[in-house]
Amino acid sequence: MDLYLGKTALVTGATRGVGRIIADHFLNEGATVVGFARGESSLAAAAYHHVQVDLADPMAIQKAFLGLHKQVTRLDIVVNNAAVLTSQYAMIMPPAAAQAMVNVNLLAPFIVSREAAKFMRKTKWGRIINIGSMAVSLEPMGDSVYAATKAGLSTLANVMAKEFGPMNVTCNTLAITAIESDMLAQLPRAKIEAIIASLPAPRFATPADILNVVDFFAAEASSYVTAQTVFLGGVN
Amino acid sequence: MDRRDEVLAIVLGALENLNAELDEADQIQIGPTTPLFGDDATLDSLSLVSVIVDVETALTMKWDAPISLTDDRAMSRAISPFDSVGTLTDYVLELLQEISPA
Repeated sequence: MDLYLGKTALVTGATRGVGRIIADHFLNEGATVVGFARGESSLAAAAYHHVQVDLADPMAIQKAFLGLHKQVTRLDIVVNNAAVLTSQYAMIMPPAAAQAMVNVNLLAPFIVSREAAKFMRKTKWGRIINIGSMAVSLEPMGDSVYAATKAGLSTLANVMAKEFGPMNVTCNTLAITAIESDMLAQLPRAKIEAIIASLPAPRFATPADILNVVDFFAAEASSYVTAQTVFLGGVN
Repeated sequence: MDRRDEVLAIVLGALENLNAELDEADQIQIGPTTPLFGDDATLDSLSLVSVIVDVETALTMKWDAPISLTDDRAMSRAISPFDSVGTLTDYVLELLQEISPA
């Protein structure tokens, strides 16, 4: 119950889905949690601070961090989880939807990570964990921009791992498969089930599958694990 | 303390923070004319980044607005704002004048 006692974690997209699972886990394990999300949160724990911010807007993120400096004195763990997905054939993908995916899935993690690193350099300790996707490897039709942003997320972590390494900050990516969530509900169920059936571990991900790797990346003992992408379910 | 003195104190404070992280042999001589970037500077690129981040953070907290020292305007100047403590102080004062005229 105290795996993260004394730690402060920031989770983007903390109000639902994978972000909510991770935020709940950190809270249950003793962390103070800051949640960044566009909407309100039903999470009412005393150790939870909710910040309403449009992650598609870089300036809004920077302003959120300005406020954060007044609420918390440290940030130890960041989980860049928030993402948007529009699955559509490239020739008919609305440019605005493609732009939104770039902004939320790639640019926002960049801004969040760099602002968080400014906290972490003070304590000389940090863990940045990006939530990636099996789409990077499987490259399904319709996911050209989504998969590209998630591939970019791994590259982002790998470069930041070099820049932040001297500050004892690790940067890694957890590429998840399908888990029951609002995002999954947007996709054709038969298509997802066919993809999952083709995996070496042919089942949907569970919260425990995800938290297992999050805990591994966040562990004190994982200071020598950085610039890595772990795919769940046997995706490679 | 006038605004120039306030900004100079922030810039010098950032260099003191850097010195606190450096070995004895790598300490930087700190003063109003200390070179930051270029042939005469003793800071490596990551050290300069640390100084910029500390200055930005201190300015942002004091003036309660996001302040970026590394936008296109800074990078395209004939004389870099990062040449020395003096040029950086001047550049910060210029930015502050725009968001909060003295």
